[in-house]
Parts: sequence; C-alpha cells; structure tokens
Amino acid sequence: MAFPDSLILSADGTGSHPRFALLRRLLRRPSALCGLVLMAAILAMAVLAHPLYPDDPLDMVAAPFLHPGTDAAFPLGSDMLGRDLAAGIFHGARISLLIGVVAALVSLVIGIGIGALSGYYGGRIDAGLMRLTELFQTIPPFLFSLAIVAILQPSIATITGAIGITAWPGLARLVRAEVLKLRHSELVEASISLGASDARIILLHILPNVLAPIVVSASILVASAILSESSLAFLGLGDPNVVSWGGMVGAGREVIRTDWYVATIPGIAILAAVLALNLLGDGLNDALNRKGQRR
Amino acid sequence: MRTLSRRHFLAASSAIALFIRSDKPVWAEDKPQAGGTLSVILQPEPVTLSPTNNMAQPTQTVAGNIFDGLVYYDFDLKPQPCLATSWDLARDGKTVTFHLRHGVKWHDGKPFTSADVKWSLENIWKTIHPRNKALFENVSAVETPDDFTVVLKFSKPSLPIFSVLNGVGAPILPRHLYEGTDILGSPYNNKPVGTGAFVFKEWKRGEYVLLERNPDYWDSGKPYLDRILFRIIPDPAARAAAVEKGEIQYAPFNAIPLRDVERFSQLPNVKIDRRGYDWISPLLYLDFNVENQYLKHQRVRQALAHAIDRNAMARIVWFGFGKPAISPVPSAVATFHDSTVPQYAFDPKKAEALLDEAGFKRGADGTRFAITHDYLPYGDDYRRTAEFIKQALHKIGVEVTIRSQDTAAFIKRIYGDRDFDLSLSWNSAFPDPQIGVVRAYWSGWLGTQTPWTNGSGYRNAEVDGLIQAAAVEGNPEARVADFKRFQQIVLTELPTLPLLEMQFFSVHAANLRDIVSQGDQTYSTLKNAWFDGKAKG
Repeated sequence: MAFPDSLILSADGTGSHPRFALLRRLLRRPSALCGLVLMAAILAMAVLAHPLYPDDPLDMVAAPFLHPGTDAAFPLGSDMLGRDLAAGIFHGARISLLIGVVAALVSLVIGIGIGALSGYYGGRIDAGLMRLTELFQTIPPFLFSLAIVAILQPSIATITGAIGITAWPGLARLVRAEVLKLRHSELVEASISLGASDARIILLHILPNVLAPIVVSASILVASAILSESSLAFLGLGDPNVVSWGGMVGAGREVIRTDWYVATIPGIAILAAVLALNLLGDGLNDALNRKGQRR
Repeated sequence: MRTLSRRHFLAASSAIALFIRSDKPVWAEDKPQAGGTLSVILQPEPVTLSPTNNMAQPTQTVAGNIFDGLVYYDFDLKPQPCLATSWDLARDGKTVTFHLRHGVKWHDGKPFTSADVKWSLENIWKTIHPRNKALFENVSAVETPDDFTVVLKFSKPSLPIFSVLNGVGAPILPRHLYEGTDILGSPYNNKPVGTGAFVFKEWKRGEYVLLERNPDYWDSGKPYLDRILFRIIPDPAARAAAVEKGEIQYAPFNAIPLRDVERFSQLPNVKIDRRGYDWISPLLYLDFNVENQYLKHQRVRQALAHAIDRNAMARIVWFGFGKPAISPVPSAVATFHDSTVPQYAFDPKKAEALLDEAGFKRGADGTRFAITHDYLPYGDDYRRTAEFIKQALHKIGVEVTIRSQDTAAFIKRIYGDRDFDLSLSWNSAFPDPQIGVVRAYWSGWLGTQTPWTNGSGYRNAEVDGLIQAAAVEGNPEARVADFKRFQQIVLTELPTLPLLEMQFFSVHAANLRDIVSQGDQTYSTLKNAWFDGKAKG
C-alpha cells in the first residue's frame, strides 16, 4: 500500500525528511508526548515481562496479602493467593495489549471493509450494508460482547473476537463518509478512465487518502478494547488462565475494604494505558489535520 | 468507570453504616415482636424454587420457608414435630406411621391431607429426588387409612429416612396441582405452593424473590416477619456493603468475602453465626471424569491428589473456613467416618513418580498432559480454588485450563453432556451417608442427568452393592461396617477427591433475633426470626 500524502508530507516546509514530520509534529504537543512516553513504558513492560519475571505470574510465590513496599522482593506486594502483583502487572500488559490490538484489528478489517464497499458502490450494496451496521449499532457494544462471551465461554480468543466484532460500526460509517467524498473526485475518475479495477481503486487510491481518520480511530479502538476486556474480566468473564489487568481488578474487588492495593494497582495500569492511547489519538488527530497545523 | 462508581458506593455505604451505628439505641427484649421485612442474600440466583430434583443451595434456602416438612431437626439433629405431630416405628423397622397435623392448609386454601404425602412419596421421593431415591426405594405400600394418617410399609428397613424428613429433605408438594402433570416441567416449580410459614409472592429474575407472611399458618402467632425479600446481588463486595449498612439483615452461606469476616466480627451492628449448618455437613470435592483418557488411570488420580496441598488450600483460599477432608463422609458425621482410609498427603515428588509409573512422562516442554477444569460458579472462593489447583498441578507437569460458565451451563456440562475432565463442587453429606454421600458414587445415577449425583462417572459393582446393602440394613452396626468398607474402596480408587470440610457462616443484623433456632436452620424456615425494637421495612 502506498504511503498516503497526508501522513508523510511535511506541512510546515522545513525541509527535513518527510517521514519524521509526523513524529515531530506529535512531539510538539505536550499531551501527545505524555501519551507516547506512557505507551512506550507500557510496551517496555510487555517486552520485559518474560526477562524480568520468567516464571508463571499465576504462581503463588509470596505470603498472601503482602502490602506494597513491605518486601523488597515483591515491590507491589502480593494478592490473596500470594501471587506477585508486579509480575501480574508486567505479564498483564502483554495480555491487555494483545487483546486491545487484535480486537482493534478485527474491528478495522470489518469496519474498513464495510465502509469502503458501501461508500464506493452505493445503491443496494450501500443500503444493505448500512442496515447491517445499524442493526449492530442498536445493540450496545459492551452488552453485545458480554452476551457473546457468556455464550461461548471466556477465553482470550472469544473475548478478543467478541470485542472486535462489536466495535466496528462507528468506524464503518466514518470510512463510508470519507469514501463517499472521494468517490467522484478527479483522482478516482481518472483511474476509472485508465481502466483500473474496483479493487485497485479502493485499495491503492481511496483508502490511502482516508488513512488519517482511520489511524486516529484505531488508537481509540485499542483503548476501548482494553477497557472492554477489563470490564468483562471485572464481571468475572475474563479468561481465568491468564493474567489480565481487568482480571486482577476483578479478583481484588472482594478485598477492597481490607486490602485496597490489590484492585488499585492494576486499576492504575488500565488508567495509564487508556489515557496514553487517548492522548496519542488526540495528538495524531491534531498532527494529521493540516488545517489545525496552519492555525 | 465501573471501578470508580463501586468505590464511591462503598465509601458512601460505610459512611451510612457509621451513622447508623452511632445513634442507635439498644433494645433488649426477649418477647418476640411481630412485623418487618427481612432482606436476605440469595447467592447465586436459583434455577428453580421447587426442591424436587435440583438440590442447589439457593433453591433449598428459599424452599425451606415455603414448604414445611413432616419434621424439623433440633440442634441435636433429632426430629421434632412439624406437619407430623407424632410417629411410630414398628419393632421390625418395616412399618412407619405418621400422624399428621389437623387444620393445615396449602397456600391456595386447599386442605393438606395424607394423600399429599402419599403422592409426594410415590412421585418424588421414590423416583426423582436425588438424595431420597435409595432411602424410599423399598417402600412397598403407602396406606392412608384417613386424612391424617400415613402408614409406610417397607419391604426392608430404611433407618436413615428419619434424617431427611424436613421440608427440603422430603418435600411434600400439593397433589392437586401436580397430579397428572409433568412434575419437572410444572409452572408451579417457579411459583411454588406450600404449607409453610411464608407464601411465595414474586420472583423477579436477577433481582429478588419475595415471600409474604402466611396469615393462616398452623403455628399460631408465627411467623413474626411480614415479608422475606431474598435479594440477588452477584458482587461479593456489594453484598458486604449492603450487609454492613443494614440494607440486608441476613446473609447465610458465606455471602460476604471471607477476608471481611474478621472486620465484620468487630462491627456492633452485625453478628457472625456459624450455627444452623449442623444438618448439612458441607464438603468441597474435586470430581475426576473417569472416562477421560488420563484420569481413567487410578494412579493418575492418586498422583493429582498428592499434588494438592489441602492444608494450604484451607488456610489461604478459604481463610481457614474449612479443614482438609480425608473422606467423603465428614468427620462431623462421626458414627460413619473412617479415619483409617488411605490418605493423600501433599507430596509433589510422589505425585511425579506416580505419573511416571503410569506412563505419562514430562514432554520436552515439561508438560505431561493437559486437562480442563470446570468449577462451580458460586463465587470467587470457588474460582480461586480452581486457580490454586491449576498452579498445584502445573508444578507436576499437568496443564489445566480453567473454564467458567453460569450455574445452568455448569450443571448441563457436568451431569448432562459430561464434557469435562476435572470439576469442583460441594455437596452436603447430611447426618447419614446414605443421604448425601452415596449419590456421588452410586452408578444408578449415571445417565439420569440429575445434578449433584455421580459426577465422576464411577462404576464399581462392590460399591453399588455396599450402598444398596446399607440402605436396607436393619442393624446399625452392620451399616457402619458397610460404610467403612465403602470409604476404603472409594478412597483407594479415588473417582472423587474430598478437598475440604467446609465451615459455613451467616452474617445477620444484631437486632435480628432467633435467626438460628434449629439444627437444619439454613435449609429451613425463618418463622421464629424477629426484629428486636424498631421493626424495619
């Protein structure tokens, strides 16, 4: 896929390598910088989980209810079964990011596919696909994924799938609107007159030009997928075989009156991840919006 | 968002609790006062309200208030008159006569008679009731010489029946509503009509079950409470908050987090009570599906038993509310308990050796084999037990995948589809092993899909023989000998691993009096309970 103009062209004409222009524009915004730093920290945790905590994070290694800071070997303390909370946070970063990214990818594929087809072909295809989208939009996405997971049994795959296939309608409508705008542009007309196939036009000419809003919504999709997984796990519908932040909060809420930190520490991790992705999304939105740039 | 609002809720509720505590005068009267609505925790939501075939705890908790039995059990577990005012046992043990109470009415106004007892015995106790089938199998005839006399003729004696004659143990259903209909599919299972102190009013799924005072109750003056509202609150921390602030005044069956018990015992507005579970003797156990390709080997089952540290499980997972069990007959059922059975001390090395012997050596990745584990979805304690077992078995190279589902799906999977490897649940042993214990081992239950019967799929002709012999044995010593032999076999072959003898507790408001007045209280009626001082509601 060709890299889109909107992403690589430097708008302020400083003449530096265009590929870094976006990054430079991002770094200029303190909130986006915060988001990037936080996200980098979470990614580092995910990467370092195995080197730092090679053992199963579900192993009971410490005395139960070790409060944070009381034992140097377990800086974040231990939960009711004596599981190391720090190991859980590190390994939980992997699971939460995995679910977030894969679920967002599922949503992106469905949302972009339906939005592009619908916007490009119009007519009956558009009408049919939009009715389907509306059908999905009438059911609150979280309740929908709750029902799917409850029926299929919670596992990483069902949770990710359930979040992915319920989160796409907004994106589909967005993509459709963007495609509609381009459908009768000179760019597309020219491609048609040169005899390009529909697939080629959609994939090579239209989609690259609507990538900016997609990139922004992708970051929000990842954030909301992480949040959905946490909510599912909190309600007891997480995968009990892996550590996830939501699952840790869910396990800790029972003892919140006596041992607040068990639920609070993973709660802060979720907060940080979702905040980072939202800040990043906002930053991308600003950086990609060249009108905003010339303000 | 969810977490945040819950925290606010908890903070607010504790503030309210503080307020109530500080300005509450102390009443101390001993004469029961009438009135008030009692809010009770029901956890989890029951599948049905009729104690005929599904013997789940929440079903029995509600049904005990709606259905009176022939008797109830005092703290010594001796039968006391209820719907039967007296009874005679013939010298040969083969004829039992019950004299029924006069003037008792069903909640729909029809009179209660000996025909109801006869019908219930023949259509429920003898056929579909999971605990009673074996006990009443040898009833050859039921005679009803008049409306208030029932004579049971046994072809062989059945001594343990005197331990199951309360409202949920031998439920008496209204013949006029059930006769000729499909009992298990009857609409009255979800809007039950009984003779008890409380009348079923409404069941709003996911929210509450409402019972109201029976104004025509035979025990005049009782019940004292106007209403019982069984509330369904799935979140344990929210349950604890509701009890703490007085919104819920009675929470049986470990309804609050075990970690909170110590804190609650310091609160002036609530009391912790461990009584009222005497009749049921609860036991936590792990079923091995003996049809599984690995678990069909006795040595594998014994190895898994050696890998699980039941002392640590009792101490850490159950916060000391339970002690390691060595036999399916709990030590509290002292007459029948056999302390000489094979025991499986925590010994991971021995477990690994047994698995090696059985031919399941560790593979290149350290894993011997992988199995699944379905746990009873009754709360976090059960999930944590499953997590504990997963980690324990991981240490000996057995990978466990935990699966969670709701109660209905759990029952279907274990007792219907039989699509499981390990399954965690609890059962009540009751005062005689014939009632609560043998159902988990008797092969006669296989294929019937009856919940909480033979989950492991175990078949052993000698065990079946012992169970049937003990059921009809008239000599108490011979019965004890049968059950000791039974325990020796099932703990050698180990289709089911007894984990813990559970210690249940109830939490109740300090001004709620006589909440525990009998040995079978938690599965019986709250007709004696009353609010001291200002009635709530």
